[in-house]
Amino acid sequence: MTVLDILIKYHDGFLQGLAVTLQLSLIIWIFGMGLGTALGMAGAKYKLEIGLPTRLFSFFLSGIPLLVFLFWLHYPVQAMFNVVIDPFITAAFTLTIVNIVAVADLVRTTVDDFPKQYILAARVCGMDSHKTFWRIQLPIMFRQMLPALLMLQVTMMHTTLFASLISVEEIFRVAQRINASIYKPVEIYTALGVFFLAVSLPINGFALLMKAKFTRNLSES
Amino acid sequence: MLTATSLTKKTPDGRKILDRADIALEPGKLLALLGPSGSGKTTLMRCLSMLDAPDGGDIQLDSHVYSFPLPAGAEGVESIGPKPWPRVTAVFQQLFLWPHLTLRENCLLPCKDRAAGEAALEELVKQFGMADFIDRFPNETSGGQRQRAAIARALVLNPTYLLLDEITSALDIEQTAKVLQLLELVKAKGIGILLITHHMGFARKAADTVVFIDEGKIVESGPAGILDKPKNKRLKEFMAAVKLA
Repeated sequence: MTVLDILIKYHDGFLQGLAVTLQLSLIIWIFGMGLGTALGMAGAKYKLEIGLPTRLFSFFLSGIPLLVFLFWLHYPVQAMFNVVIDPFITAAFTLTIVNIVAVADLVRTTVDDFPKQYILAARVCGMDSHKTFWRIQLPIMFRQMLPALLMLQVTMMHTTLFASLISVEEIFRVAQRINASIYKPVEIYTALGVFFLAVSLPINGFALLMKAKFTRNLSES
Repeated sequence: MLTATSLTKKTPDGRKILDRADIALEPGKLLALLGPSGSGKTTLMRCLSMLDAPDGGDIQLDSHVYSFPLPAGAEGVESIGPKPWPRVTAVFQQLFLWPHLTLRENCLLPCKDRAAGEAALEELVKQFGMADFIDRFPNETSGGQRQRAAIARALVLNPTYLLLDEITSALDIEQTAKVLQLLELVKAKGIGILLITHHMGFARKAADTVVFIDEGKIVESGPAGILDKPKNKRLKEFMAAVKLA
């Protein structure tokens, strides 16, 4: 049985798994980038009230393996509160939290590290703060941040594989189940690898392209 | 006239870095500000441009007087008078050209009247010999080319006073000579120039007024001739050191 044969025979299962993986990724990306950006901007502006607690939480979270965090929210927390939550929701919530924190860190660092001299140059040219923000600060920060942000989102998509460990029927779990019935690990996991390469490489390549195109040596300006 | 009277600036721990400095810049004149490193030249320039608010003194920009310190709660000089920029504008030692824009876009972005800006820039491109690189990004150009673009960005705004902080410090002799020649053109447009420089030859040749600052105090000022016959002991020592160098 070749990779193609397996894909054709089990295409329903693979497509369902793929749909779950993509749903999970979309939730993580949309909420992670949206809320993470808002939190990062707020943290850069209100350093004490928002920035410090966010950094402390990020520091705390960085010490916990993702799998432990996911299992902790899936079993002990639900047992403590005597609730049963759909594993998909638990996985989406856990990974979104991680993405929010990571994006917020990235955004806050980019805002904090923004060379204030560019704002000074705009001021001495008579530009108002609105124009300075939209035409100077935002484009420079966006260009500085975009490659790292894209690569982070690819990593987050890869972390959706952990959801299989709490019984979410995403693509990795589907692949495991098919392998359990036909035992063709080389073909099945090769197909899975090809799928992730097909999704990840264009995004990573785009990130590298953006990095090469946009990243400037700010000291030269 | 751009006139500063009794300007004082202190560090957060109370040390005076500018001590009752008086300075006056006339349109169409070039003032060379000299002094050893750490003497307060850049601080004086930043205070005079009103990017940094002094802790005391007055700055008169044509008819308006800005009095310092700023009142409590005031966030900038805009709270005590009309915005002084770009009537007074500045070019810094590190030029701070916006890296995501071409040199042309750098020059035109601050313009309120885009068409007038484009016309003014075209003239400057010819005068400054920038046609070959005006559409490049800052990181694709040499230090001298960026220097010219930074001056052009300031001039497109049609300022009355242009403050320049050691703008030739990173350039070779040939590039420096080109930039300094451009300043003669700028002066001829009726723009008052304050130039912080270590180029004594240029100061002697082109400056209408030379001001020497040491430890935050203006210790001697006058026509360029004071560089040859200094009266103040510190300026004498400084000029002796310049000769040795």
